[in-house]
Amino acid sequence: MSVKGKVWKYGDDVNTDVIFPGKYTYTIKERADMAKVALEDLDMEFNKNAKPGDMIVGGKNWGCGSSREQAVSCIKERGIAVIIAKSFARIYYRNCFNEGLPIIVCPEAVDAINMGDEVEVDFESGVIIAGGKEFKFPAYPEFVQGLIKDGGLIPHVKKSLGLA
Amino acid sequence: MGKTAIVKIMERAAGKPVKVGDRVWCKIDWSTARDFGGANCVLQFEKEMGADAKVWDPDKIAFTFDLQAPSHSEKVSTNQKIIREFAKKQGIKRVFDINNGIGQHVMLEAGMIKPGDVVLGTDSHMNLLGGVGAFATGVGNSDIAASWINGTNWFRVPETMKIEVTGKFQKGVCMRDLLTHIVGDLGAGGMDFLAVEFTGETIDNSTLADRITLCSMVTEMSGKVPIIMPNGEVLKWLVERAGPEVENRVKELSADPDAEYCKVIKYDVTNLEPLASCPDAPDNVKPVREVAGTAVDQVHIGSCSNGRFEDIKAAYDVLIAGGGKVSPKVRTIITPSTTEVQLACAKAGMIEKFLEAGIVFTNPTCALCTAEHYGALPSGDVGCSTTNRNFIGKVGKGSHTYLMSPMSAMATAVKGVITDPRDILG
Repeated sequence: MSVKGKVWKYGDDVNTDVIFPGKYTYTIKERADMAKVALEDLDMEFNKNAKPGDMIVGGKNWGCGSSREQAVSCIKERGIAVIIAKSFARIYYRNCFNEGLPIIVCPEAVDAINMGDEVEVDFESGVIIAGGKEFKFPAYPEFVQGLIKDGGLIPHVKKSLGLA
Repeated sequence: MGKTAIVKIMERAAGKPVKVGDRVWCKIDWSTARDFGGANCVLQFEKEMGADAKVWDPDKIAFTFDLQAPSHSEKVSTNQKIIREFAKKQGIKRVFDINNGIGQHVMLEAGMIKPGDVVLGTDSHMNLLGGVGAFATGVGNSDIAASWINGTNWFRVPETMKIEVTGKFQKGVCMRDLLTHIVGDLGAGGMDFLAVEFTGETIDNSTLADRITLCSMVTEMSGKVPIIMPNGEVLKWLVERAGPEVENRVKELSADPDAEYCKVIKYDVTNLEPLASCPDAPDNVKPVREVAGTAVDQVHIGSCSNGRFEDIKAAYDVLIAGGGKVSPKVRTIITPSTTEVQLACAKAGMIEKFLEAGIVFTNPTCALCTAEHYGALPSGDVGCSTTNRNFIGKVGKGSHTYLMSPMSAMATAVKGVITDPRDILG
């Protein structure tokens, strides 16, 4: 599968409070409403203008801080095709697999990509094409691929128990 | 080569031999949720499994109401009600309602947590329970809801970093300062996905409160889990609470002397000075002396990092040494971590002195870890806090926060500007 989209680029240590502000964690329960406040405290341009198929590119430690899964749900629901970062914070990383939001760790590509670039990602061959250059990224571990194939953690557990 | 503690813990949980790098399904000892995120776990579980579905074991699930206790709005109250009703329907007895305090601390005091337990919770600082040797980790609501189906979840067996600490703290310097030093030294990604064993004489002689402090900010360095196997007074305390099985677990799960570590780091605290995490990141560390004189609008002492009796007592001693009054220019708030701590403060006669000093002494709760509770900072205000995060806007858009020890925070409250506690303690 290959996707092509416009990039929203940010720096290191972007925390979940600016991705999905704490004040909404109690009051917003519908996924469509989560999408509306995505990145509100980081970038109002993104909040107003991001379109399905766009991509997020972050620096080191994307998604650090609070464990709130809404910080993944709001981006997934907004239709963001993939997050490419130098590294992900641990809980955020897990939540992405559980939510079925594609993520890629590729520091070299992050350095080469600028805000507003058009970038192409081929998940099957493990290649990011940006600015005429190709960047390889490793396949997910086999175990994680199994989770993704089943549509996330809960569907995977249900399937293993014969419930789905 | 011998095994690290986390390898032994995960072998127990997986029921088979494991090695670093394996991804394994582990049996969960406790799958918990707090008022923050708990309602989402309930709604997700019922949506996926059906309104009549039963959880795998109601005696291994707990709810804690800590982030917004008591509730401050109808929407929060509704979420708390969703949790109460679910617990009643499912026969989940361990519901620590608004009169208890911060979840990890409450469960620890209730004798629920043993070394080696695998504990999930919707709090990114769950891993402070590593302070008694548990493998506790913060997760999102999908991980919790999934674990309620059959009591398992998957983890990668992590590499282990060992941190050896020696020396005695000087007057006015404490475990929080060591922690701040480590966060500054290693940085926000310095423990990336690693387990971390803290050892050495300074750790061996430390209190439970200090171990909790040290373990509470491993998350801020992207660590997976901190581990300190209980010994001495801490072991005695834990056996009294959680039973004699604790001793077996310590014997069974402690690291082998020849265990393999990916990295060993040594710290000597002898010459350590009071430190602060400056705006707007925990790893932006400077000596308190360097930022001394900075005016602050509010001081907050509490949180899962530094809200235990010993923390509040250390602040109390600074207050008394400083004349018993806080500066009228600063709003000072103290929040004990649990009702047990609050009661101990009352019995020690400290609450009376705090109130006379001009301090707000609150009920146990997470309080100022979020902008959505009392004490939120308005734009432009500067806060000083013993919590664990000072990300921009975390406790109020446009505000900035310095993180420091309870002693430094109280010295700041007394003087009205950031102050090295040694200037008061002498």
